[in-house]
Amino acid sequence: MLTAYDYPSARRTEHGDIDICLVGDSLAQVALGYDSTTRLTLDEMLYHCRAVARGAKNPLLVADMPFGTYQLGPRDALDAAVRMVREGMMEGVKLEGGEEILDTVRVLTGLGIPVMGHIGLLPQRHASLSGYKVQGKNVEDALSIARAAKALEQAGAFSIVLEAIPSPLAAHITSSLHIPTIGIGAGAQCSGQVLVQDDALSVWSAGHKAKFVRRFAQVGQEAQRGVDGYARAVRSGDFPADEEGYGMSESVFDKFKDALGKEGESSMMATS
Amino acid sequence: MFTAIRPITNSFTVKLATGQGGVWTSVRRMSVRPEAPSPERADRKKVTLQHLRQLHATRTAITMLTVYSYPSARRADQADIDICFVGDSLAQVALGHDNTTRLTLDEMLHHCRALGVKEALATAVRLVKEGDMEAVKLEGGDEVVDVVRAITAAGIPVMGHIGLTPQKHTSLSGYKVQGRNAQDALSIARSAKALEDAGVFAIVLEAIPSLLAEEITGSLRVPTIGIGAGMRCSGQVLVQDDALGVWGGGRKPKFVRRFAQVGEEALKGVEASAMAVRKGQFPADEEAHTMPQDELNKFKDNKRV
Repeated sequence: MLTAYDYPSARRTEHGDIDICLVGDSLAQVALGYDSTTRLTLDEMLYHCRAVARGAKNPLLVADMPFGTYQLGPRDALDAAVRMVREGMMEGVKLEGGEEILDTVRVLTGLGIPVMGHIGLLPQRHASLSGYKVQGKNVEDALSIARAAKALEQAGAFSIVLEAIPSPLAAHITSSLHIPTIGIGAGAQCSGQVLVQDDALSVWSAGHKAKFVRRFAQVGQEAQRGVDGYARAVRSGDFPADEEGYGMSESVFDKFKDALGKEGESSMMATS
Repeated sequence: MFTAIRPITNSFTVKLATGQGGVWTSVRRMSVRPEAPSPERADRKKVTLQHLRQLHATRTAITMLTVYSYPSARRADQADIDICFVGDSLAQVALGHDNTTRLTLDEMLHHCRALGVKEALATAVRLVKEGDMEAVKLEGGDEVVDVVRAITAAGIPVMGHIGLTPQKHTSLSGYKVQGRNAQDALSIARSAKALEDAGVFAIVLEAIPSLLAEEITGSLRVPTIGIGAGMRCSGQVLVQDDALGVWGGGRKPKFVRRFAQVGEEALKGVEASAMAVRKGQFPADEEAHTMPQDELNKFKDNKRV
């Protein structure tokens, strides 16, 4: 699974044979420059979903339900999820949370909207959790997470994202479920993996790299090189070269200049 | 609703879209985020219309590049690009529509000649107010002069766009170079003058013969920004995706130069990540978290009970 937020990034998941293309609410930060995923509105998410859907035909399309669209209860969540499927052209939705969202998950799956769960570290709750820390390192938390996984499976989720939990815990949860787990910072024993595409491609050259991210390309550097190169070439007069422009036959140009000259004269005469 | 780049860059932002401003980021520790400290570059002064005039007066080439997202805007700022332009080319490069006219008014408020002067002005106001933009660009010649006057009279800077105007490609039967015969050339030159009189602060010249562009540039007081118009314009613009080679296949227009191969690099990364996952090579132990052994034991005991 890999995130995408627009047409080009979606095309890459298509060409790269990715199984699930996730329109993650990480786009709030990586695409829109917001300071938190909680700033993303449903309309903004739908805009990006549509663009992704145009780019990725084969991967399964799943999108994060933005913060606030499902916390108020099943009815609100249903309205939002229907919009994501109908207007956003998505095939499934992802919700963060465990026991507290089970009713909502049941309602959605009951109506045929595939739901992907997400437990462990919940980015939309970073404010209440005081940051983005690894979860499930003590027994109570670990048990709570394991229970949530089972409950989500029973409520009908078709898979569950495990984020930032110890690998042994993730391994245990994975083997205890029938449905697949998709890990991020949860070790290699999950059924699959997910990364934010911008992180995997190193779109951001500076900034902190989380331990679970691996750089599979240096797009940020390459892109900056391109923009720098363009600016330099324009300022030095190197771009565009003659062959990067269009010619005009001399006779036509002369005719044009004559006509221009005559117009100039007549307007001067008119004003004098 | 297109939520786009907030001018957190120091470039002058010209746009044809509506949206909400973004807020600068803080560090998210579990993933990579952009440079943490101050986003505004202290070493760079904000580009204003006055600055553009200075560049023009000193014959320093003006650089303009399209942007459509936060990362593409950051790159433009890093490279000291003068004008950041949210072009409706984003319809194709970012959104995957098959041409720029597919953008709905909801997705992008672009000015249509079909709109009356009042509606156009209202649209421009929205772009500036809601979209945090500093100026708008309008395609067209004589026929948009009234609209240009109204918008500039309201205090909103307007950039003109003549020559090949992508929004009209159907009626022009494709993306062909314009102004190759004397009549068309005259018409374009006249439009340029009329737009200048109506108050534009700059004019984009697209896909016209270099000689014509040079002639027009010399005849105006305001700067011209060329694309496929040769190097005698006051500045240049390219669609960032074209300049960076985001699209591997497809025909490359003659006026585009690839300054990077981002598409290749990015696809390489996606393919490598898929392979690494499928082979079980990613994540490695050091890319994951451990758990204290006694806690793990207690957990396992609990589960067995």
